[in-house]
Amino acid sequence: MNIFSRKFTSLDFKGLKTICVCLLILNILSLASIYSSLHQAGQFAEREVLYKQIVWIIVSWLALIIFANINYRIYFDLAYLIYGLNLILLIGVMFFGKSVMGAQRWIEIFGMNFQPSELSKIAAIIILARFFSLSSPRGLVYGFLLPLIFIVLNALVIFIQPDLGTALIIVFLFFSLGFFSRIPKRFFIGLIALGLLVSPFLLNHLKDYQKRRLLVFMNPNLDPLGAGYSIIQSKIAVGSGKLAGKGFLSGTQNQFNFLPERHTDFIFTVIGEEWGFIGSLFLIIIYWLILKKILQQAQRARDEFASFFCLGISLFFFFHLFINIGMTLGILPVVGLPLIFLSYGGSNLLIASILLGIFFNISRTAR
Amino acid sequence: MFRNFFRIVSGSFSPELLKRVYLGGFLVLAGVLFWYQIIRGDYYFQRAKNNYLKVIPLASMRGAIFDRNGQAIAYDRPVFSIGVIPYQIESSREGLFAALSEFSGSSLKTLDKSYRKNFQSYFSPVDIITDVDKAKALAIKEKFSDSVVVITRPQRYYPNSYQLAHVLGYVKEAKAFYQELKNYGYSPLERVGINGVEQVYDAYLRGAEGGKLIEVDSRGRIMGFLGEQLPQKGKDITLTVDSRIQLAADSALGQQKGALILMDSQDGGILALCSKPYFNPNDFISGKNIQAVFNDPGSPLLNRAYQATFPIGSTFKPIMATAALEEGKITPASSFNCSGEFHLGRAAFRCWTIHGIQNLYEALAHSCNVYFYNLGMILGPEPITDWAGKFGLNSLTGIDLPSEKSGFVPSRQWKQKEIKSVWYPGDTVNFSIGQGYLLASPLAIMRAMNVFANGGYLVRPHLIKEIDSIDSGISTRAYLGISEKNLQAVRQGLREAVLRDDGSAHILQRLNLKFSGKTGTAQNSGKAHGWFTGFFTYQDKTYTICVFIEHGGASYEAVKIAYYFLKSVIENNLL
Repeated sequence: MNIFSRKFTSLDFKGLKTICVCLLILNILSLASIYSSLHQAGQFAEREVLYKQIVWIIVSWLALIIFANINYRIYFDLAYLIYGLNLILLIGVMFFGKSVMGAQRWIEIFGMNFQPSELSKIAAIIILARFFSLSSPRGLVYGFLLPLIFIVLNALVIFIQPDLGTALIIVFLFFSLGFFSRIPKRFFIGLIALGLLVSPFLLNHLKDYQKRRLLVFMNPNLDPLGAGYSIIQSKIAVGSGKLAGKGFLSGTQNQFNFLPERHTDFIFTVIGEEWGFIGSLFLIIIYWLILKKILQQAQRARDEFASFFCLGISLFFFFHLFINIGMTLGILPVVGLPLIFLSYGGSNLLIASILLGIFFNISRTAR
Repeated sequence: MFRNFFRIVSGSFSPELLKRVYLGGFLVLAGVLFWYQIIRGDYYFQRAKNNYLKVIPLASMRGAIFDRNGQAIAYDRPVFSIGVIPYQIESSREGLFAALSEFSGSSLKTLDKSYRKNFQSYFSPVDIITDVDKAKALAIKEKFSDSVVVITRPQRYYPNSYQLAHVLGYVKEAKAFYQELKNYGYSPLERVGINGVEQVYDAYLRGAEGGKLIEVDSRGRIMGFLGEQLPQKGKDITLTVDSRIQLAADSALGQQKGALILMDSQDGGILALCSKPYFNPNDFISGKNIQAVFNDPGSPLLNRAYQATFPIGSTFKPIMATAALEEGKITPASSFNCSGEFHLGRAAFRCWTIHGIQNLYEALAHSCNVYFYNLGMILGPEPITDWAGKFGLNSLTGIDLPSEKSGFVPSRQWKQKEIKSVWYPGDTVNFSIGQGYLLASPLAIMRAMNVFANGGYLVRPHLIKEIDSIDSGISTRAYLGISEKNLQAVRQGLREAVLRDDGSAHILQRLNLKFSGKTGTAQNSGKAHGWFTGFFTYQDKTYTICVFIEHGGASYEAVKIAYYFLKSVIENNLL
């Protein structure tokens, strides 16, 4: 089987112009926001961070084009292999990985840090798409139990790192994709009920800083200088943007360093403060356009594996967007998920681009 | 409802449904954004401003206080202190403090304590060594260069220390009373006047604090300078007090517990107001020895000249005489025989000697009790109450000093209402010679005596002369409507108390002034209080004086002090 569905050089983006334009806008917005967040009191300090991100954006476009030209069916065939490799990488990271801020998540590739847990997100989508597309109401072992075991094992390894956000995303993917399968829904509902029952026990196994984040999420004023600080300052930043924002490079919360992690997880606050309600709404609409396009494709896909794959990609995007923006607005706990296509960082950008590339391939082979 | 939910859940899921879920999610986010940015936008905008805009206050100079000769008696002088800026020394604090302690000689504990006490914010200087002299401050600055700052700030200084304490009061940082004061626009470190002139004229003396508006980042580092408002100095004020006369009063009073007041008879301007025991207001500035002042059983903070009232004894007699004359009950020639005792029913009220036949002049000159017992019986209590009130003994004098205590004049109704007892003739007898329930402050007594000195006016005693070189215009007086003839009669009696060899205050005749006055020995639960109040003319101006010696035994002490005081004032040409 030829893994390249067409010629490698083909750059046929027919019907995908909207997504490409949206993606370009997001790339520009990302660079602008990272530039602004590193810009302090008239000085631009960490130039190389911006340069790195430019490199990542180029790499991510290359990856998108490459994956757009790889026949997606290959993932169906290689599902177990990809899953296995991913698990090996994750376990490898536990022993050989780099530890940053108390979490052992990174391995170094070509001088750039990469998080294998990001790869898990792709692996999870592939393995779930394969299982669920083959599922039948009676094949409980193959359609329900087996994917459950795969996912739980994967999530557990990530949770140990610890990376609560990614572990949660993978579990979410299992349930939300499961609802689209032929497996009776009562199994999933039953499992959720069981999960809620044992959750108090699981809470005890959270790291202290994770527990604190959850508590502070309930009431940020509990610890205004510690864990609640991020949420309070982020709310102030976004709120103070008002309708039109304070203008590029003029956000005081941003420029005077009141926002933590503002070029990574909290990048939305920079946009909220400097571009206001109009800018924030614009960003949300861009994301909405991308998601709409992916869901349309899910309905028109050539086979069920492709359909599940599209749903998985859209869910992956939606979880990241909703949880990230929700946490900067203080309506969801701070779980440390990046804002797709905007936050600084190569891993998540690369993964999102690869997923988009796969999606491009699916849509080009659609009916 | 549950069935409905179950049908939805168990029905087939389509991407169309998911689309609606996503749209719902985004609408929720947009709604929350609308809430924060549009509805609560102004609130968060203000909070963002509060985050990065800070004001560093700049202390203002307080107005100086001058005496009537232009001598500064309270003023701000610069003091130097060594401070640190917390964010600059964050990591090196322990080492720096140890080195500073070694170099300056202050203990490490003191430094740590001051640091904690004076800490305001991360970016404003914190005093750690206070009140160092200029040379030492510069030496420390040279040694530690950028890690310390030399802070100059104005500090109140009272060159006369003790002697003018009761007149001036002192100042204190507003933070101790911040809850009340913040409504008047005080900042926590601004100095506010406590007691004395410092308190009464605080609104003029206090300047307007300035400030620097700066931008800071989340760690308090100064990122930008937006503007500066320079502090404004408060207004200078000039008092009627003469610090030289005040010093003379102080040394005349010596170690006696009591008060001495000298006042201009015509306009009520106070030249000296002395109360003992006293305190050093500079202690309150430096914060040293304060507890000793508060714990002193002699109550040095109490101004005995006007914040306390006492039985006034015979100094009440001129008022009695005026009442009897004005009510038409006697003439100056009316005489009563003093056998050393006055009988009322079975009770006997004593005089301090046997005076024989006494007319008004003689009775005032000798301070004959029996004469005034008789006046009391003729008058009855009501006119006495009335006249004591007219002379201001049951009201405030209105002096421009805080916490004045009003005198007290009893009456028949008062006794019935408060003591639940009828007014006995014996009460009237006691009342007639200023004993019993009657109480007044030395200042109030002096003001009553002053009515005879200035031709029948009740003045308002005051200390302020000028505010910012503009006349205060505070001087007011009320005419009591006493006939000139009667005034003259009482004046004559008071003159004879000094003039006659057997007059109660005859030693004052040695001063060679036209002096009139009245002594008083006021009985109380302890040793009697000694009183003297009178007036004299010197170089065409009339002055009224009052000397009060708490538990001084007899009036002779008070007269003696008045004598030595005025002797020194005249000899040194102070008036």
